[in-house]
Amino acid sequence: MTDTNSTAPAIAVEGLWQVFGENASSALRDARGAGDDKAIAKELKEKSLIPAVRAANFEVKSGELFVIMGLSGSGKSTLIRCISRLIEPTAGSVRIDGEDILQASDKRLIDLRRHKLGMVFQHFGLFPHMTVADNVAFPLKMQGAGKAERRARALEVLELVGLKGREDTYPRNLSGGQRQRVGIARSLAVNPDIWFLDEPFSALDPLIRRQLQDEFLNIQATLRKSIVFITHDIQEALKLADRIAIMRDGEIVQIGTPEEIVLHPVDDYVAEFSKDVPKGRHACVESILMDGIPDNMPDDPGIKVGMTLDTALTKCMELYEPVPVRDAAGKVIGAVHPHELANALQAEET
Amino acid sequence: MSAAEAVPVSGGRKLELTRGSQAALFVLAVVLTCRLLGAQFEWLVKWPAALTVPMTDWMTWLVGGFLDVFKPIARAFTFLVSYPMEGVGWLLNALPWPMTVALVTALGWIIGGLRMAALGFFGLMFVVFSGYWTEGMNTLALVAVSVPLALFLGTAIGIAAFEFPRVKGAVNALLDVMQTVPTFAYLTPLLVLFGFGPVVGLIASAIYAAPPMARNVLLGLERVDTEIREAAVMSGGTRRQQLFLVELPAATQQIMIGVNQCLMAALSMVIIAAVIGGFQDIGWEVLLTMRKALFGQAFLAGSVIVVFAIIIDRMSAALAEPRPQQDRKVAFGILGAGLLVTLWSVIAGWSPSGFAALDGVAAWVDTGVGSFTGNHGATLDAVKNTSMFYGLLPLRIGLAEAVLPFTWGFLWTAKHTAMLYGVAAVISLILILKGRVTAGLVVMILAYVAEIGIAHLAWPVVIFGAGAIGWVAGGWKLARLAVTLLGLVLISGLWERALLSLYLSGAAVFACAIVGGALGLWSAMSTTAWAIIRPICDLLQTIPLFVFLIPVLMFFQIGEFSAFLAICMYAVVPMIRYTRHGLTSTPDEILEAATASGAGKWQTMFEVRAPFAAPTILLGLNQTILYAFAMLVIAALIGTTGLGQSIYLALGQADVGLGITAGAAMAILALVADRLVQGFAEERRQALGL
Amino acid sequence: MTTFLKAGLSALAVSAVAMSAQAADLGATDEPIKLALNEWTGQHVTTHVAAEMLRAAGYEVEFVTAGMLNQFQAIADGDIHATLEIWSSNVSDQYAVLKGEGKVEELSDLGLAAREGIAYPAHVADLCPGLPAWEALKDCAMNFATAETLPMGRLVDYPADWGTPGADRMTGLELPFKAVPAGSEGALIAELRASTEKKSPLLITFWQPHWAMSAYDVQFVDLPAGEDACFTDPAWGPNPNAINDCDFSASRIFKAGWPGLKDKWPAAHEILVNYQLAVEDQQPMMGAVDVDGQKVEDVVSAWMGENEAKWKSVVDAATK
Repeated sequence: MTDTNSTAPAIAVEGLWQVFGENASSALRDARGAGDDKAIAKELKEKSLIPAVRAANFEVKSGELFVIMGLSGSGKSTLIRCISRLIEPTAGSVRIDGEDILQASDKRLIDLRRHKLGMVFQHFGLFPHMTVADNVAFPLKMQGAGKAERRARALEVLELVGLKGREDTYPRNLSGGQRQRVGIARSLAVNPDIWFLDEPFSALDPLIRRQLQDEFLNIQATLRKSIVFITHDIQEALKLADRIAIMRDGEIVQIGTPEEIVLHPVDDYVAEFSKDVPKGRHACVESILMDGIPDNMPDDPGIKVGMTLDTALTKCMELYEPVPVRDAAGKVIGAVHPHELANALQAEET
Repeated sequence: MSAAEAVPVSGGRKLELTRGSQAALFVLAVVLTCRLLGAQFEWLVKWPAALTVPMTDWMTWLVGGFLDVFKPIARAFTFLVSYPMEGVGWLLNALPWPMTVALVTALGWIIGGLRMAALGFFGLMFVVFSGYWTEGMNTLALVAVSVPLALFLGTAIGIAAFEFPRVKGAVNALLDVMQTVPTFAYLTPLLVLFGFGPVVGLIASAIYAAPPMARNVLLGLERVDTEIREAAVMSGGTRRQQLFLVELPAATQQIMIGVNQCLMAALSMVIIAAVIGGFQDIGWEVLLTMRKALFGQAFLAGSVIVVFAIIIDRMSAALAEPRPQQDRKVAFGILGAGLLVTLWSVIAGWSPSGFAALDGVAAWVDTGVGSFTGNHGATLDAVKNTSMFYGLLPLRIGLAEAVLPFTWGFLWTAKHTAMLYGVAAVISLILILKGRVTAGLVVMILAYVAEIGIAHLAWPVVIFGAGAIGWVAGGWKLARLAVTLLGLVLISGLWERALLSLYLSGAAVFACAIVGGALGLWSAMSTTAWAIIRPICDLLQTIPLFVFLIPVLMFFQIGEFSAFLAICMYAVVPMIRYTRHGLTSTPDEILEAATASGAGKWQTMFEVRAPFAAPTILLGLNQTILYAFAMLVIAALIGTTGLGQSIYLALGQADVGLGITAGAAMAILALVADRLVQGFAEERRQALGL
Repeated sequence: MTTFLKAGLSALAVSAVAMSAQAADLGATDEPIKLALNEWTGQHVTTHVAAEMLRAAGYEVEFVTAGMLNQFQAIADGDIHATLEIWSSNVSDQYAVLKGEGKVEELSDLGLAAREGIAYPAHVADLCPGLPAWEALKDCAMNFATAETLPMGRLVDYPADWGTPGADRMTGLELPFKAVPAGSEGALIAELRASTEKKSPLLITFWQPHWAMSAYDVQFVDLPAGEDACFTDPAWGPNPNAINDCDFSASRIFKAGWPGLKDKWPAAHEILVNYQLAVEDQQPMMGAVDVDGQKVEDVVSAWMGENEAKWKSVVDAATK
């Protein structure tokens, strides 16, 4: 076990491959000679193997909410199952707090799961034969916690997710939103450092989804977990993420902040995603600061750092000259041209 | 190639051969070879005796060795099992009958309220009044020990198959064997192995009842939602914790279906176990009364098993469903009433054994059967003769032998043979010209079967015919399986008997398919019909099969027709059930779409429901085939020939080798038929995207 | 039901064959002697009489319900100690094997006179004039014809596992009958019942004593006497070219037991060996059970009380 220190990333994924099919690992080894990752994947496909995750590389910082986004079949669910080692990756390494969990023994893995990892599933994965409280307390039971202790902790977490008073009902008597609250509560029961969420809100109605997203952000604001969050919904990704990884055909095509994804998509695929996104609502003025600050700026509509493009634009609708951007203290730290503001927003309409 | 898009060949268009027509062409070639050259080369028709392998002797030797080795272990097991068995038997007999009735009624109340309580009460009171209380309790004791054994065995097998995917194939094959080898075939080895007494019956019924449990456990585990599984993993459970705390409980519903089927199977075996004797239970009673050909009494004794089956079935089914809490005071009240009646019966000295309040009814039924036979003798004979002359006889020995002045009014000659093939050729040609090549070729093959009869079919026709069907239904793998397995029967020297079995069960399956299909259709169309047919189906499936042999015998005497009827009575049930189920379970959306398109009731039935139900109906046919083979052995009791008789003979003579070999041959026939039909069902399912 | 009920004895008598046997040790009187109860009433009567005799000698007796054909393994294993009515005409091969290995001991004949033969219900005599003489069957075979047997008459033979004695007779005597195996005793009885109800023709292989003999007024066909030569010498009998051209040879009914019986319960062994029973005594008891519906225990104990002379001497010879 490697030393863990606070500066190490919570999760570090390097060269992670997941290939499905017979003799996948030897086939992957043979295919390595083919050249870059694309060539390797091509060669694997020709052998009718399926490279579901290709050479994934990324890090999740401690306390960061890292979203992996992609269409169905892009390999995002496979990727999160590799990181949590629900399935065995074909090659590569996954370090959690510096420890390579792919090398961990079964015993160590069980230990990690009992204390350090929590996971929420798309269709909740609740145990139908247990009450809500028993579901939530199940990971504690695995830890070997006593009955009273389990019950107390379960009630505590259930209160956190707003299910106080429902502890003795069965999952079948709950609505979808309530079930996922149970799922969330269960994953938090052992107070894990690392939190995996596999499309947790995808199966819910839009209204409930928004509500749970907000609550999720609240919980995260207090708990500050290191999170890997899977979604196929760009809006959700942009709303929640500190950083987003976009996947296509098993490959991570771009990693960046919501803003970077929206304003600087690396290719058409990513651009296509953010096409319908009202960029003005996600990008901030800092992202389109001019090089240097003009000496003479006649207008000062009061643009501040952190202001979204939308807000900024409404403030300088009638203006044609660069305007200053000030920080919280009121100091001018840059300038934007209203023309650029409009351009940045127009991109989405094409 | 459907008729609609077919183009007449006359246009010089080359005929396209589908998979089916290629197979039919191949079989027709085999048929022609055998028919034309059979006279010169006898080995083409009849497998030379010199090439048969003394498989029976080998089996005797092999099994004998096996039995010697395992006998001490088995005897130790017998010793262990006899304790719980005697214990339960003692308990059930020591418990005063009013208390047992009260307990079951109270249990019924807690499980399912008034309805279940009434079922338990009236059911057990029927047993009290029938005078078979002691026998009934002994039977229950047997079931009470064999079922847990079967449940344990089944669960273990199911879990093993799930945990080690490598052995899954082998386990499935084992389960098939356990279910298709007739029980009679392994009773003798069991007797040698486990010694004499009720324990053998117990083990036989556990062997028979375990497979449905194993299958349902496996299915249940496989159907547990992946995320539930993963949630257990991510909670940090060890594999054992995952399995026992999460996966098995999550599969409860499916497993309860297995428990239910296991109970039913164990009950139905009770009677067969009685054949080897050693127990004063219901099975023995049925056998004793059957020996005297007293239908009424046998039916009464058999009804006790039916009553047990219904109570256990309904209560265990209700157990699997969520239920409202019942007032426990009522349960205690029932128990209290039971206690009072107990006191009364002790003081009054009344005991249900030998009470027999229903014997009058039994005697009346019995006399009824007798006088019906007497009054309608001529009609019954006419029914039997017509069916024999025009149906069964030609099917078995072919028109060439069955058509005689006595039967059809004229003698079959070469002229008639030529006419038969001529007519077949014309029909066949018309069909082929219409583009239905497969149908045309099949007509020619059928003409051969009609002339020769199933019992005289040349062996290459049967083996390669099955192979060809296998190839169409499931590719080379299935074809290889069919040919290999049937080849084993061929060289074992049991071939002729196997053909006789094939003929009788084939005829029965054919009749069941038509009659059962029609009844299923009727049940699907009318709820009234189903309300009548359903209890009959229940009765036919749970009452000891032996019981029905008596009236059939009285009406139609010993012989193939009686056997045929007995097999049909039993095997028609799944056909009815599955047909109805398939036809009524069409998704609502599809039906609405049909209605919206303006389809009438019958149009919907034939254009929408029927095609959608095809895989389910095929599954029903599959079950019918298995049931028919199972009943074939029992039909040997009314004097059929074929493998059933061999198995029976072996049981009587304690000939282990013959029993096992004939049992295996029977299982092979059933397995091949099963796989072929399943192949077609699978193909249909995929075509419908199910 | 491979097992058959071949019995229905009709009369019973313990022949007080004068015995000069020495009084033997009682042996282990605290352990029960287990007697097999097979599937037919006559055997129940036979067994209960034996049980009462053993009890009179001071033994404990238990009954074990057992199938006729499968009981021998149990006897070899010592799970059953004796079975008292075995018919030589249909004893399983296993018996011969076990007896040969010394695992089962034969305990002498029971003394019950039995007869097997080709039979018919009385009304059939009208359908085939000339019966009971066997020659009559030559001419009226077609009256017995059915769909399965055409163009021959139909003979309902024993179930296949009892052998094919009926078919052998037909071949030996060159009678135009095809034998159809019955499958079970119940099937034989059903045939008799149906034939009686319908007044239809029936030729059947049957035996006596059996309750059905009187219930359906069954008559035997007169065949040439079944002498030993008939079964070995083709020249013997009406058909100079075949064996089996005669009636059945006389059946033997005997007892068998566990080889350890003699050492463990010497007196019981002696009682069972000397136990004899005749048709005339067994028949009324069977009637009382099968026709009047009385319990075997009651019928037997009544008989034991009234006929002490017929069994007491056997018990006394062994114990005093």
